[in-house]
Amino acid sequence: MMPRAAVLPPPDFLPEPDMAEPLIEVQNLAVDFLSAEGPLRAVDDVSLSVERGRTLGIVGESGSGKSVTSLALMGLLPRRSARVSGSVRLDGRELLDLPETALRDLRGDVISMIFQEPMTSLNPAYRVGDQIAEAVERHRGGNAAAAWTRAVEMLRRVGVPSPELRARDYPHRLSGGMRQRVMIAMALACDPDLLIADEPTTALDVTIQAQILHLMGELQREAGTGIILVSHDLSVIAETCDEVAVMYAGQVVERAPVAAIFEAPEHPYTLGLLGALPARRARAGGARQRLPVIPGTVPQLHEMPRGCRFQGRCPFRIARCAEPPPMEPVGPGRESRCWRTPLEALAA
Amino acid sequence: MSRIILRRLMELVPTLLILSVVIFGLQRLLPGDAALAMAGEDATPELIASLRAQYGLDRPLPVQYLDWLGSVLQGDLGRSLRLNAPVGQLLIDRLPVTLQLALMSMLFALAIGLTTGVISAVKRDTRWDHAANVSALIGISVPNFWLGIMMILVFSVGLGWLPASGFTPLSEGLWPGLRSTLMPAIVLGTAIAAIIMRHTRSAMLQTLDSDYVRTARAKGLTERRVVIRHAMRNALTPVITLTALEFGALMSGAILTESIFNLPGFGKLIVDAVYNRDYEVVQGVVLVTALIFVFVNLLADIGYILANPRLRE
Repeated sequence: MMPRAAVLPPPDFLPEPDMAEPLIEVQNLAVDFLSAEGPLRAVDDVSLSVERGRTLGIVGESGSGKSVTSLALMGLLPRRSARVSGSVRLDGRELLDLPETALRDLRGDVISMIFQEPMTSLNPAYRVGDQIAEAVERHRGGNAAAAWTRAVEMLRRVGVPSPELRARDYPHRLSGGMRQRVMIAMALACDPDLLIADEPTTALDVTIQAQILHLMGELQREAGTGIILVSHDLSVIAETCDEVAVMYAGQVVERAPVAAIFEAPEHPYTLGLLGALPARRARAGGARQRLPVIPGTVPQLHEMPRGCRFQGRCPFRIARCAEPPPMEPVGPGRESRCWRTPLEALAA
Repeated sequence: MSRIILRRLMELVPTLLILSVVIFGLQRLLPGDAALAMAGEDATPELIASLRAQYGLDRPLPVQYLDWLGSVLQGDLGRSLRLNAPVGQLLIDRLPVTLQLALMSMLFALAIGLTTGVISAVKRDTRWDHAANVSALIGISVPNFWLGIMMILVFSVGLGWLPASGFTPLSEGLWPGLRSTLMPAIVLGTAIAAIIMRHTRSAMLQTLDSDYVRTARAKGLTERRVVIRHAMRNALTPVITLTALEFGALMSGAILTESIFNLPGFGKLIVDAVYNRDYEVVQGVVLVTALIFVFVNLLADIGYILANPRLRE
C-alpha cells in the first residue's frame, strides 16, 4: 500500500494561514427573531472566518446560538420571523445582500450543510440515491442517469458498502451511521467550498462518531473544503479543528487556534467548559471526581444582562463587567471577550 | 406487495359477514313488517298471515337470514314488494345517479380541500390562512339542507344558471348531465372539503417543519419543489385514508341532498323503502352502499401502502 502522505501535497504547499484570503468571512453577524414582545436577539456580534481546507469549530452549550449561526450562514432561517444583519462574505461575495434565488444557487453547491439528526434528515419517501442525485441535477444539470451515477460514486466515496444497491434503498433500511454517510455524500456531491456540519456525530454511537469524523477529514484533505464544525463536544473539536470559536449566549466569547485554547483558555467561560472535560480532570488528579459544572444557567434571550453575558456565572467578576466587554486580541490569532484577560494569573 | 393485498382481501370476509348480520338484523328490529304494509289498513289477520307465509316472513329469523344471504351470494337481492321489481334492477337504475353525485362531490372536496390546505400551510399566519380557516369552519358548520336551499335560491331561482332539481343522465350529453348534479355535489362536498383542508393544513405544517424539508432547502431546491416534492408527498399519505373514511359521510349525506334536489338515486330509494317497510330494498341499498365503502377503503389501504416505502416490504 502506498503511504497516504505520498499522494498529498507537502504541508508547506498549503497557504500560510494568516496570508490566505479567507473562504468565508463573517463580521458582526446578528440574528433577531421577531416575537410578540419585539425582536429577540439570538445571535449577537459574531465574527468568524474559515480558510480553504481548514476547519473551524464552534463550541458552546445548547442555546448558545451555534445552530442559529450556521442556519444564518446557509440563509435557511425563515425570512418572515428572523432578521439577519452584519456581513457574510463568501469568496468576496456578500451573501446577506443576495436575493433568495441567487442564494439558492449557492446552497448545496458552494455551501452545503449536514445536520444532527441523520434519522429524520432524509426524506422517508424517496430512495437515498435519488435524494443525492436531486442535488446533483439541481446544480450540475445533465440527465438523470448521470446524476444517479454521481450519486452512486459519492456513496462509494463516503464508504457505503455496495453503493449500487444501497442507492436503491429507502432511508429506513439504513442505520444511523449509514444515513449520516448518505447526508455527507449529498452535501459533498457538488464539491462545495464550504461545509457546515451541525453536530454531525451527536446522534451516533462513539465508534461510528470516530468513523464519520475521520471520513470528513479525509474528504476535506482530498477536496480542500473549508469546514465549520458545530459541536458541544470539546473532544470532537480538539480532534478535528484547526481553530475554535467558543459561543456563549449568542456571542463568540473566545476565538483561538485549537492547541492554544486547550492549553491556556482566555475566557472564564472556556475555562469552565474545559474544567468539564473528563479526560482533563482525570489527568489532573482525582480519578473519580464529580464532573465540575459551571454554576447557573445561560440567561434567557429576553433577560440578557447589559454587560458581559457571563457575569452571572463568572467567578472572576468585577464591577466593570456591568459594561459589555469588546472582542479584543489577546495573542497571535486569538481574541477574547473579557475585561480580565489574560486569565493566567487568575486561574492559577 | 400482492401478499399484503391478498391479506387485506381475506380480512374483508369476516367484516362483510358481520355487516350482513347487522343489515339483516336491524331491519327486523323495526315494528311492523312488509306483510302489514302490503295488506293495507283494513286487512284481516288471515290475509296478513297468508302474505307472511307467501314471502317466508313466518319462518324463524336465522332461516330467513341464511335464505337471504344465500340468494345475495348468488346475486339475487330479492324483489321490492312495493315496486314489484327486482331489487338488483332498482339498484342498477339508481347507481349512476348516486355514483356521479359521490364522485363529483369527492372531486370538488379534494380540489378545494387540498389546494387551500396546502396554500394555507405554506402561507401560515397570513391573511389568506386566516380567511381559509374561517371558511373551513363555516363549511363544516353549515347544514347541508340550508346550503342546498340557498344555492337553489341563488343559482336556480335567482340567476337561472342551474336546474333546481331532477337528473339528466350523461347519455343525454356531458354538460347537461354534469350540470344536473353540480349543485348537489357542491352542497355535499363542502363539509368534506373543509375537513380535508384542515387535515391537509396541519399535516403540511408538520412536514414543512421537518428535518428532511430543511435538508431539501439546504440542497438549494426551489421552494416550489420543496413544497410539492418533499412536503406534500409525505403530508398527503394520511389524507388518502381520511378521504376514504369521508366517503362514508358522503354516502349518508347523499340521502338528504338527493331529497333536496329530487335526484333519483340511492338516497331517495332508501327513504321511500324505509317508509314502506320494503325490507329487501333497504337491505339491498345498505348492502351495496356498505360494499362501496368497504371497497373504497380497501383501495385507500392499498394506496397508503404504495405511498409508504416502509410498509411496502
